[in-house]
Amino acid sequence: MSASLIWLHEEALRISHLVFKAAPRGTKAIYVWDDAYFREADYSLKRLVFIYETLCELPIEIIWGNTLEVLRELAPSNLYVPATNNPMIAEMIGDLKIFLPVEIIEDEDFVVIKNSIDFRRFFQYWKKAQKTAFLHNGGVNA
Amino acid sequence: MQVLQRQFDSREHLIAYVKDLAPWADGDCSYIEGGRQKAERKLADSEPVEYARSRNFGDGKITRLSPYIHHGIMSLNEVRNHALKKCSEPVQITKFIQELAWRDFWQRMLVHHPQMAWEDAEPYKTGFIAQDYADVLPQDIAQGYTGAACIDAFIHELTATGYIHNHARMYLASYIVHFRRIKWQVGARWFLQHLLDGDIASNNLSWQWVASTFSHKPYIFNLENVDTYFGKLVDTSPLTNQPLHASYEILQARLFPNVTTA
Repeated sequence: MSASLIWLHEEALRISHLVFKAAPRGTKAIYVWDDAYFREADYSLKRLVFIYETLCELPIEIIWGNTLEVLRELAPSNLYVPATNNPMIAEMIGDLKIFLPVEIIEDEDFVVIKNSIDFRRFFQYWKKAQKTAFLHNGGVNA
Repeated sequence: MQVLQRQFDSREHLIAYVKDLAPWADGDCSYIEGGRQKAERKLADSEPVEYARSRNFGDGKITRLSPYIHHGIMSLNEVRNHALKKCSEPVQITKFIQELAWRDFWQRMLVHHPQMAWEDAEPYKTGFIAQDYADVLPQDIAQGYTGAACIDAFIHELTATGYIHNHARMYLASYIVHFRRIKWQVGARWFLQHLLDGDIASNNLSWQWVASTFSHKPYIFNLENVDTYFGKLVDTSPLTNQPLHASYEILQARLFPNVTTA
């Protein structure tokens, strides 16, 4: 086992994401350029270029390879991962949990509503959301 | 373990490098560039108060921040906080905040109902069943030569730039599902291939909303509506948009013949 590691995926490409606060100071962050993942997602070139341009502005390492194999080889003592509901990424996180200690870190909230509430229509959500949607930081730490 | 290059002399060199990494990837790059700096510039240029009045128009004051929000380059919270600074009263930016809220809502929906990413949430309310819809995207749609000029213009913009106005997305989705009777999943996957902000929650659940598998009725439009909102930007002549040139009553009867209205 080596030090902790932050694994960024394509939905959390900024250094102010809470995953950087959750991990110990100085934790290395990587992005795995996973060709099989992109092929399965069937992204056009413009999507790939957009992601790559974004990665180049971040103080991270971009590593070519299969995500699971790369992370297995790096074998961090703790892997910090931004939360996502992307089914493909969520599946990878599930696979990673089998052989690595994984901590999933939620992004900052937009509004203060319990995640457990299941809204079926927008207006039901909005009735609750509008109470904090107009507040700085959604009323958190205001 | 191969560490990839992060420094490039020019955008052209970066694009060539990505092409080498993914020679299988279709198309070319977009004029829209990635990165936090570009996102901050767009945020600074945003006009959240004006957004309420003009957002539905093709040339309206939309932010085009969605590719950056989708990739987490900028959070919804940051965008909201910035918008609050640009208004004198929060009520002035209600529509803007609601648009951000829609994204938050879709994300929450998918957490609770992950199967809704690709499965019909409810039956179609179109008088047809799912099996009545095609499983493949026809080439005339993929390539943008459907014969409806405004639809072709939206398709070309989507495939060339990876971004189209939300209203145009709804037109395209409605055209594919209801005018051409193709499964929403087929169109949703095609959008995800191209849209720089392609997000399974926002994209797929919006397609379900248009299709009526996650709404009370199908969303349809006609040429007059396109002309109102995009008439300055795309060809909305009746001669070159015949499939769309009809009243809502006629379209409703033509597209959903099995649905009887009370």
